[in-house]
Amino acid sequence: MNQLFQEAIIVSILAATMRTMTPLLFSAMGELITQRAGIWNMGVEGTMLTGSFAAYIAATTTGSLWLAVLAAIVAGALMGAIIAFMTATLRVDHFIAGLGLNLLAGGLTLYWFQSYIQGRAQPTFSGFQDVAIPLLSDISVIGPILFSQRALTYVALLTVPLVWFLLYRSRYGLELRCLGENPKALDVKGLSVTARQFAAVMIGSALTGLGGGFLMLGFSDRFLADFTAGRGWIVIVALIAGNWKPKGVLVTVIAFAFLEALATHLQVLGAPVPHQLLLALPYLASIGLLMGVRFRSGQPTRLGIPYKRE
Amino acid sequence: MIRFEPRTERDGLWTAASFAMAVVAGLAVSALLLASTGADVGQVFAALVQGAAGSPKALATTLVKATPIILAGLATVIAFRAQLWSIGQEGQVFAGAMGGYLGGQVLAGMPPLLFFPGVLAFGMAAGMALGWLAAQLRNRFGVNEIISTVMLNYLVIYLLSWLLQGGPWGENGATISYQQSPMLPEEAFLPALFGSNRLHAGVLLPFLAAALCAVVISRTPLGYEIRGLGYNPEALRHKGVNIARTVTIVMMASGALAALAGATELFGVAHRLRADNLIGLGYAGIIVGMIGGLRPLGTVVAGLFFGGLASGAVYMRVLGDVPASLVPAIQGITLFFFLCAGVLARYRVVRVAFQ
Amino acid sequence: MSTALRVEGLTKRFAGVAANDDVDFDLRPGEIHCLFGENGAGKSTLSSCIFGFYRPDKGQIFVRDQPVHIASPIDAIRHGIGMVHQHFVLVPEFTVLENIIVGTQRSGWRLNAAEARQKLKAICDGYGLDIDFDAYVWELPVGRQQWVEILKALYLDAEILILDEPTAVLTPAESRILFNIMGKMCARGLSIILITHKLIEVMQSNRVTVLRKGKVVATLNTVETSPDELARLMVGRAVSFTITKPELKPGETVVAVKGLTAHGHWGEAVLKDVSFSVARHEILGIAGVAGNGQKELFEVLCGVRKAQAGSIWLMDEEIAGLTPRCLMDRGVGHIPDDRFREGLVSEFNVAENLVLGWQRSAKYRSGPLINSKAIAKLSRDMIAEYQIATRDEKVAAGKLSGGNAQKIIIAREFRHAAGLMLANQPTRGLDVGVIEYVQSQLLRKRTEGFAVILASEELSDLFGLADRIAVMFKGEIMGIVDPRNTTITEVGAMMAGRRQGTIQ
Repeated sequence: MNQLFQEAIIVSILAATMRTMTPLLFSAMGELITQRAGIWNMGVEGTMLTGSFAAYIAATTTGSLWLAVLAAIVAGALMGAIIAFMTATLRVDHFIAGLGLNLLAGGLTLYWFQSYIQGRAQPTFSGFQDVAIPLLSDISVIGPILFSQRALTYVALLTVPLVWFLLYRSRYGLELRCLGENPKALDVKGLSVTARQFAAVMIGSALTGLGGGFLMLGFSDRFLADFTAGRGWIVIVALIAGNWKPKGVLVTVIAFAFLEALATHLQVLGAPVPHQLLLALPYLASIGLLMGVRFRSGQPTRLGIPYKRE
Repeated sequence: MIRFEPRTERDGLWTAASFAMAVVAGLAVSALLLASTGADVGQVFAALVQGAAGSPKALATTLVKATPIILAGLATVIAFRAQLWSIGQEGQVFAGAMGGYLGGQVLAGMPPLLFFPGVLAFGMAAGMALGWLAAQLRNRFGVNEIISTVMLNYLVIYLLSWLLQGGPWGENGATISYQQSPMLPEEAFLPALFGSNRLHAGVLLPFLAAALCAVVISRTPLGYEIRGLGYNPEALRHKGVNIARTVTIVMMASGALAALAGATELFGVAHRLRADNLIGLGYAGIIVGMIGGLRPLGTVVAGLFFGGLASGAVYMRVLGDVPASLVPAIQGITLFFFLCAGVLARYRVVRVAFQ
Repeated sequence: MSTALRVEGLTKRFAGVAANDDVDFDLRPGEIHCLFGENGAGKSTLSSCIFGFYRPDKGQIFVRDQPVHIASPIDAIRHGIGMVHQHFVLVPEFTVLENIIVGTQRSGWRLNAAEARQKLKAICDGYGLDIDFDAYVWELPVGRQQWVEILKALYLDAEILILDEPTAVLTPAESRILFNIMGKMCARGLSIILITHKLIEVMQSNRVTVLRKGKVVATLNTVETSPDELARLMVGRAVSFTITKPELKPGETVVAVKGLTAHGHWGEAVLKDVSFSVARHEILGIAGVAGNGQKELFEVLCGVRKAQAGSIWLMDEEIAGLTPRCLMDRGVGHIPDDRFREGLVSEFNVAENLVLGWQRSAKYRSGPLINSKAIAKLSRDMIAEYQIATRDEKVAAGKLSGGNAQKIIIAREFRHAAGLMLANQPTRGLDVGVIEYVQSQLLRKRTEGFAVILASEELSDLFGLADRIAVMFKGEIMGIVDPRNTTITEVGAMMAGRRQGTIQ
């Protein structure tokens, strides 16, 4: 293989990493907000799936990709409202609520989808195209990787410092982290724990839904059953491995995205291994990563424990 | 104004009323869902009932459809009662079918009295291995069992995909790959009951398994430890129970039950190894176990209900143009209301004067 | 202004049971007013109603003689009421400043800490306090953490301060400092409600209201009453403070601990070179402020925590590192301090809890199944013998009061143990009647020939029961003393870190 070809492949893999990272990053930042507020939302998969589905419906009926983005955000927030109602209001076990949401989302989206396409060819749409930033995108190697991406990729990268600022420099962030560490400290100051957790989960889930939406709008032109294919679970793994810190989560998400991009390229290049093994890599890596994670100091103390007075 | 107050004692009547409300609400929202896609609600419900229980043939289909769901539901009951949130049932159903298929090849030619218990044991062993793995990941590495079982589900599904496409078990001779194994020989079909051509002997298994689970959970020291593990593992640890060992036993038992569902489906219904027949059985089992209140008897009732729904959906498809995925949608909706009802049952409504 | 706070006819019911029944209470400006009573007498319910945590069913609250409606803590705070909870409501991962300002900023996106810092500095200077606002709360000793709690209230301009059992976690010396500062607060016009069950603290207040079973028994000027009178009012009958302990000669050594060292979660030493031995017919008391290694010592002795070094001999066998199961089979009984977390399964009924840990024992099985009949019969006997107040053996343990829950644990451990009894804070949070009962049971075991290790935060308990007292501080034993020729002051000094023999 000549050198030029090799370099082109590496650039292509890294550029694909950036693209693949985008939905994971949106969803992971959303889930980070949710979990730092003490809600162990296991419904990421269902929330992302609903976001994807809403984006698909909006894109094919209105033809507007930005309306589709909005639809994904709203759908995510609605899923968040269900999770918040179950966990913050009814105080159902967080794991049960999340599992229930995944099953509900799986059933509902599939039914609506099949009803939607009944008796006709599945409508498709053409998704987001790359936005090349003038000048910067012309830089060799770095240009195509960093500055010739979908518009939402740039936005996703921006969410990391934004979430960091929200958590550590704003008064809302202090309250948010307090919800995860010791919600009673807010309750004794007369502030509603339920209302704040509700808000956090809805905002977080809106971002998570946006991640699902981008998965649809940036990668595909149609919906399928199990469209998100476990990415919601990878997001949860990224949170644990990233020790619930924005930077750590970013690093883990990039690692997962790289792995997925690598697998796709190996498949296309005809690597002499079963393609199923390549597809299974992120899941194998998840288990391996969690086995290696020894450091969970960043886990919110009251994560997953429904708050009750006394 | 009314207000909710926690109950000090459980009230059987109120609990029953709460869950009855959940059923009604679930059906009402399902009707809304149907209406949202322009279907004729009355016609669809009538078709569902007709297809579930309208004839002996429909009843037989209901039983056959309920069998794997109840088994996977019992797997859920065992694990969730110990507060082990395993959702590996989906992968374990696949593993059960794969292990059973392997057993079918190893034990081919054996007399039926050895062959069928043998292949089911092969299937269960595969499920137990998955359960064991998740238990070890939890005990030794502190990996949350929800996440590990989800990941294992995907790995098992890809493994089956490889075995059937590119691997040794694919159907030979076909020019395009259908991702399925060749048909099993006829002597490897589970024998039929009452001369029916669809009611296989495997439909007895969920009832036996449910009875066994009920006895184990409520009457044995192991069941005591399983329940205790769910309530307060710290107290059990202080009182000499080996938590890691109990977790391993529970996860293996759960895996065996879910795998039995897959093996039964292979030898009783599908008669060839194929993902389509297995997809969603594990998740349906989780729903059924949870709706059944994590009790074996409740799981049987819920499983029969959703088995009926699945059977009715087949009939409904013949009649109209309502998608088959109505069933998982109704399952999800009903589960949601049951979770709410479970909370409601612990409260009572009191009337309070304005202050 | 005649009263800073007044409560009239306050009634609060939980599931039909009155926790506060027509309570009248008043707090004068600048006074320390004690709420005194047993656990469950209604002290905490009353303070929670005043602070807006609970909504009373009936009654009126007046602040500075004006009727007020307090629906939530935010109303209480608005009326200048602050509360310091018994179990601190702090975020250990936050700094002192963050803990104080969280939820108090009303506008703007950015955290505005500078203003808060100034205001806090002024408060601290006023009381002569020196506290690092940027230290993480987890780094602070317990006494300092309590300061953060108090500062939280003062930062919100509290003029009426409720302190719920504030000395429970303090050494005698730290308690004295706290009372000094409370005096300063009153001098500056604050009024303090002090919830306590310790007579010695009541005697330092201006007035005292005694509660019993949700009702006010009396409100007295402290100078006009006596500890004896207060104790009688609290319990409703005359109480004898003397425990009669038979003279017994210690027998052979049952347990001998040498050089025991254990590490905590972060690798820090929680037990350092601990050595002692206990003989038959002997109670070894463990004194110390909570969190100085007592819990870890018991965990090692009962097998749920691994020791990094040292040996434990039980009779003629080295038992360090054995599992709880092995130790239970060798006759070690354990009454843990956190009874609902470590001693019981709340959701299990009384009968199931009475066999917890012995569910596999042949006595309670018939074949592979649990013999519910045998267990039920045994339970009824034990309920009668240990006077457990429950409708029957099928009631969930979590529905019982703390005292009755404790009796279940004691009944179970006494039934199954032989030789060694470990009791960590067995009387904490119990009524006087139950405390007397638990103490007499421990003495019974001593008479029977058990070796008993008893930890208690109440020095009076230890002085009454123990044959020897080991004092723990930061995981070390400061000395082992004979209570017959040692004073409470000496033990108090050792609890604060003075070694035996260095005290004049």
